[in-house]
Amino acid sequence: MSSSTSSSSEAANRRIFGRILLTIIAGMITALVILRFFTDLNDASAETILGRVVEARSALPAIMAEEQNLAIFFSSSMTHAGFSPRMFDRWMAEKGVGIKSFNFGFGGLNPYFQEILSRRIVEAFDAENRKIELLMIEFNPFQTTQIRWNRAKPIVDSFLTMLATDRELFEIAKNDLSRGIRLFTIRYFRNDISAEMITAFFGESLQTMPQESELPEDEAVSERREEILELLDGQLGKDYPDYDGSDWYLPWQGGGTIPLDRILTADIIQLRFEELLVESFIQFVRNFQQISNQVEIILLPANRDWIVNPPEASQRLAVVLERIERETGIKIRNLQDAPEITPDMYGDTTHLGRYTGDLPFAQLLVDELAPVLLGR
Amino acid sequence: MLFNTPIFFFFFVVFIFFYGFVFLRQTPKVYFVLVASLVFYGAWNYKFIPLLVGSAVGDYFLAQAIAAANTIQREKLWLSPSIVMNLGILALFKYADFALSSVADFMGLFGYNPALPTLSWVLPVGISFYTFQSLSYTIDVYRGDMEPRKGLLHFTAALSFFPQLVAGPILRARQILPQFHAIQAPSWTNVKHGFLLVTVGLIKKTGADLLAAPAARAFDSEGSVSLIESWTGVLAFAGQIYGDFSGYSDMAIGLALIIGFQIPLNFRLPYFASSPVDFWRRWHISLSTWLRDYLYIPLGGNRNNHRLRNIFVTMLLGGLWHGAAWTFIAWGAFHGAIITGTHYLSGLKPLAGFNASSSRWTKLLKWGITFYLVMIGWVLFRATSIDGALSLIMDMHTLSGLPTPGEVAGIIFGLTVAGLVLMHLMDRYVLHSA
Repeated sequence: MSSSTSSSSEAANRRIFGRILLTIIAGMITALVILRFFTDLNDASAETILGRVVEARSALPAIMAEEQNLAIFFSSSMTHAGFSPRMFDRWMAEKGVGIKSFNFGFGGLNPYFQEILSRRIVEAFDAENRKIELLMIEFNPFQTTQIRWNRAKPIVDSFLTMLATDRELFEIAKNDLSRGIRLFTIRYFRNDISAEMITAFFGESLQTMPQESELPEDEAVSERREEILELLDGQLGKDYPDYDGSDWYLPWQGGGTIPLDRILTADIIQLRFEELLVESFIQFVRNFQQISNQVEIILLPANRDWIVNPPEASQRLAVVLERIERETGIKIRNLQDAPEITPDMYGDTTHLGRYTGDLPFAQLLVDELAPVLLGR
Repeated sequence: MLFNTPIFFFFFVVFIFFYGFVFLRQTPKVYFVLVASLVFYGAWNYKFIPLLVGSAVGDYFLAQAIAAANTIQREKLWLSPSIVMNLGILALFKYADFALSSVADFMGLFGYNPALPTLSWVLPVGISFYTFQSLSYTIDVYRGDMEPRKGLLHFTAALSFFPQLVAGPILRARQILPQFHAIQAPSWTNVKHGFLLVTVGLIKKTGADLLAAPAARAFDSEGSVSLIESWTGVLAFAGQIYGDFSGYSDMAIGLALIIGFQIPLNFRLPYFASSPVDFWRRWHISLSTWLRDYLYIPLGGNRNNHRLRNIFVTMLLGGLWHGAAWTFIAWGAFHGAIITGTHYLSGLKPLAGFNASSSRWTKLLKWGITFYLVMIGWVLFRATSIDGALSLIMDMHTLSGLPTPGEVAGIIFGLTVAGLVLMHLMDRYVLHSA
């Protein structure tokens, strides 16, 4: 083969490979643009999906600027619905404890995600060298179950990119390069929205697995609840005329915005725990211990009209509680059966109702914790 | 590193750049393909690279020794270590724990409960494919079907060739090795077809992932499921395994075409098969032909009086190849039974008219029976236990829980069927455009 023939064939080969490369890159860019257009069209982003978390994080500077001692109640939607910071503060003051509390209850975040979020809060407090006087952490048994984790799997990578830092993603990449690159791709090319999250969102109604703890709903109870909700919503409008619709609203100190009619189903009755979630819970307690003078782990009241655990589930719960106490060194306050909280105080099967439940529970917490703070 | 992950996109872009613009000469290209393939494999677990390379090196030199042997005894002498090495690797990594637990279970039946140790070793990705591929080389050389090629580099690169390394198709050395000795630049026609195959493969793989949920709902249910849910689950699994397997094969063939290599077709509209025999001519063709050439024919094939036994044994071991569990053996045995049954029925005089008929209704009936049998087979394949499989088969034949129009179960059933049909429509398009 002459050198001129050889060089012309090399040039032709390069042209082909050039076209291949261009096709791949153009195809991928097109796919990403379409995807971004689709997610934007559906208003899917960290701000809309984890709005309350984003708002709470952005309120951290204002919280840390408070002159008073700080209290934070951190965990799930049960805390969100069941804890009134304003009344807690008022009743604490009546007992001689000056404190400003905030509700950091976030629906949809299991302990795995809470642990990552706790790192961000700890970093913020560390950076300002600020301490939390009283950190209350809810241990939510049904947030820690296998069903809950299985249901969360499609959104894990999206939530990770929303909550973790680049350095944390890089640490994942060091152990699992493929997953690490996937996470960075989701963060920087997909606006934090993974394909699994999109599928889970659109297919949720078609793919719901049978629930262990779906509970029958009495029609009369349901109607009565609707009536009460209307009355309470009217009262809410009178009490807070300036409410701007935020999920995490600073003038409310984060309290009081949970939708009241939600019925959670997540293996509440059988309580088959997921090891990873229990470990994550223990870790986020440890994270908070670094920046808190007093850490309390609390089991919120359970609506015994609906939630009655069989002996084997109670046994599983006891084992997990004992482990948490052993590994954190904190004695858990189990208020599941506190007589002060009765079934009519709930907004649904699990959440305490606004006004009907959050106030008595705040009072109960004050009675429990004021002596602790006064004794310090 | 799976083809449908972002890391593969970056890998392939870098690969194309160096392969097309930097390494222009033959030998550097082969070196580069080898290094890229080992990086591809090592991204999953670099510790198993020596096993892959070791298989290649061992079989390369054994093939040379077989070719140099001057008596049939010496040839057999050199072939034996290749068989022992490849099947030994497979047995050790894939089947040892299954064998040990089965022995323990068997002894348990007689009241003995020995505490047999388990290895609990990680199963190297692609081991079932590359051991069969490597073994076929030494057997082909032994049989005189191909001359051993000089060039350890070329053989190792061919065995570890990344498009087909993880999930096939199972290539014969005679199909791929000559291509490494004379690497061709891809034609734009082939490249376009390659892109089409990769796109179809990606869609099928995504479809498979979506179908996994309704399949799991039926197969992982602790109790009974309704008629509609059981059929939805089985059809979803039929789509899932087809989308997974054939989608990955499509991508492998497409990627190879894009870089100038040709890999034969591995699936050809399998659910359109008109008999169990026809099904295996369309399903995982590289495996079924491998089993035919290297197991069925050595067992005697059609030549002796044990044809049906040979088919049954071949299918039984073919089932075991898919995984180390009794359910896979049961699946293989089931296919062995329906293939031998087909052969038996095709020889019956009263059915001669039916067998020879080419009317539309006969074809439809044959297709319906085959499809039904294949679905029953998938229950055995996917179930976590034989009891679970039998329970689901019962549910499939128990009239209960028929959905009302608009009910979710009915919608999922419709979507599942639509997914399955869509995959086949895409395949028809690909086959026609090829």
